[in-house]
Amino acid sequence: MKRRLFLATGSAMLAGCSTVTNGLTQNNAVMRVIGSAEALNHLVIGTRGSAQLFSERDVDRDFRVNGLPTPADSRYQTLVRENFASYALPVTGKVERPQSFTLNELRALTSLNQITRHDCVEGWSAVGKFGGVPLAKVLSLVKPAADARFVVFHCFDRDDSNNPYYESLNLHQAAHPQTVLALELNDKPLDPDHGAPVRLKIPTQLGYKSAKWVERIELVANFKNVLGGNGGYWEDQGYEWYAGI
Amino acid sequence: MDMTAGGVPARATASEGEPLVVRHSVTTRLTHWIGALAFFVLVMSGLQIFNAAPYLDASGKSNPARRVLAIGAEQNSAGLASGYIALFGLRFPTGHVLGYTDDGLGGLAPRAFPGAITFPGFQDLAAGRRWHLFFAWFFSVAGIAYFISGVRRKDLELIVLRPSDLPKLLPMQLYYLRLRKNPPHYGKYNPLQKLAYTLVLFVFSPLIVLSGLALSPGIDAIAHPLTWVFGGRQFARLWHFAFMAALVGFFFTHIILVLSTGVVNNMRSMLDGKYELGHHEGQGP
Repeated sequence: MKRRLFLATGSAMLAGCSTVTNGLTQNNAVMRVIGSAEALNHLVIGTRGSAQLFSERDVDRDFRVNGLPTPADSRYQTLVRENFASYALPVTGKVERPQSFTLNELRALTSLNQITRHDCVEGWSAVGKFGGVPLAKVLSLVKPAADARFVVFHCFDRDDSNNPYYESLNLHQAAHPQTVLALELNDKPLDPDHGAPVRLKIPTQLGYKSAKWVERIELVANFKNVLGGNGGYWEDQGYEWYAGI
Repeated sequence: MDMTAGGVPARATASEGEPLVVRHSVTTRLTHWIGALAFFVLVMSGLQIFNAAPYLDASGKSNPARRVLAIGAEQNSAGLASGYIALFGLRFPTGHVLGYTDDGLGGLAPRAFPGAITFPGFQDLAAGRRWHLFFAWFFSVAGIAYFISGVRRKDLELIVLRPSDLPKLLPMQLYYLRLRKNPPHYGKYNPLQKLAYTLVLFVFSPLIVLSGLALSPGIDAIAHPLTWVFGGRQFARLWHFAFMAALVGFFFTHIILVLSTGVVNNMRSMLDGKYELGHHEGQGP
C-alpha cells in the first residue's frame, strides 16, 4: 500500500513537473528575468580572440546541410539556372557609399580561406573550409555612417509561413577578421544547398548566425523596423541574439 | 568519537541532554540551497538541450563512427513507434521511457528524454538554453562563494579527503554495510563523506562548468586549450553529460543518506545551521 502510494505520488509529481516548467517558460515576466543572462554573457565573453583553425584532414567533405530548405521560388531558381550571372549584392542603409557587388567584384577583393568549425545550436559540429571576402573589407568600401550600429543580412530563404530568414551582427562582430562573406566551401563555389552564391560565416558564434543565401545587406541603427524586431529569424523565436555560447 | 571538530557548541538542550552545535555556516547553507536549485534546473534544461541532438561523440567534431551514446525512436517488431538507447553501438529497447516518450504536453513524440524531466517540458531548445545559461551563473557563483568562504574559515580542511583518510575508506564502507561494528575514528565528516564531497565539490562541479564553457564558440576563440583538453567540442559535450550523470548519482545517494541518518537533524543543520550531537553515530549525508 505504502509502495503504491509512493509510486502514485512519484508519477503525479513527474507529470506536475511539465505543468510547472511549461508554465514558467510561458510567463513573459519570468522569461525576461531569465533572458537577462544573455546581456551578461555578451559582456563577459563578447567577440574576442580568434576561432580555432583546423587542418585539411579535419574537413567534412560532405558538410552537413541544415536550416530552412533551399529556396524554391522562381527568382532564386532562375539565378541557380544562370549560375548567378545576374546576382549582385547590394549593401545599403546607413552607409556613406551604398554599393552593389557582383560575384566577380567580390572575388576580386581580398580573399580569405579558413578551415573553421561550425557549431550548431542543436549541439553538433562540422568542419568546413570557407573561402570568401572578409566582411570588414566590404564594409570599408561602403563606409558605415556614424549612426550605423548593426549589419543586417536579408536572405532568399523563407519558412513554411513565408517568413524570410535574416540575421544581424554589430559592427564589432562584423569587423572581426574571421567574419567572412563566403563564396566557396571546401574549395568549390557554394552549391545551392550550402547557401549559394553568398553566405555569412562567423566562426566565433553558433551556426544560426551564419546566414545562408544572402540577398542584400542593410546597415541600421536599431532593429525597430527590421522584420520581427529582434535582429534575426531565430531571435524572433526566442533564441539569443548573442550566440557566442 | 570526536564530533566537535567542526562546530562550536551553541547551547545545551535541557530536554534531550544532547548539545547542539553550529554545523554549517550561513554561506555554506545559502550556497548549498542556491547550488541545489541551480543544479536541479541545469540538469533538466540540459536534458532539454541534449534532446536537440540526442547523441554524444568521443570526437572533436560530430562523427557517427565515434558515437558513444545515442537515443532515438524506431519501429518495433509490431510496427509501433518505440524508443531505443545505443551505447557504443549496442542497442537496447527503451519502450516509451526514452527515445519515443512523453512530449511534455500529455502525448508521445520522438524525443530522447521525457518532458517530465526536461525544462521546459515541451520541446523548446531556445527556452531550455535560456534557463540553462541563467542558472549556470548561479551554480558557478555559489560554488566560488562556497570555496572562498571555506578557505577563509578553514572549513575546507575538514571536508577535503587527505592521504591519512585513505586507509579508513574500507573500514568505513564495511561499517556502512553492517560488516563492522564500529566506524574508524574521524572528525566532522567520515572518510566516505569526505571522498564524496571532495569529488563533487572539487572535481565534478568545476569540471562540469569548464566542460560547459568549452562548448561555447566564443570562449573557444578566447581559450583554445580549454576545448582542447576535453578533446574538442563534441568530446566536451560527452564529458559535460558524464559529469552530470556522476552528480545526479551523488544527488540520489545524498538524498538516501539524508533521509536515513536522521532527516530532521540533517535538514535542520542545513537550514538554521544547528546540529544535535550524538543523535546519530558514524553516518551522514
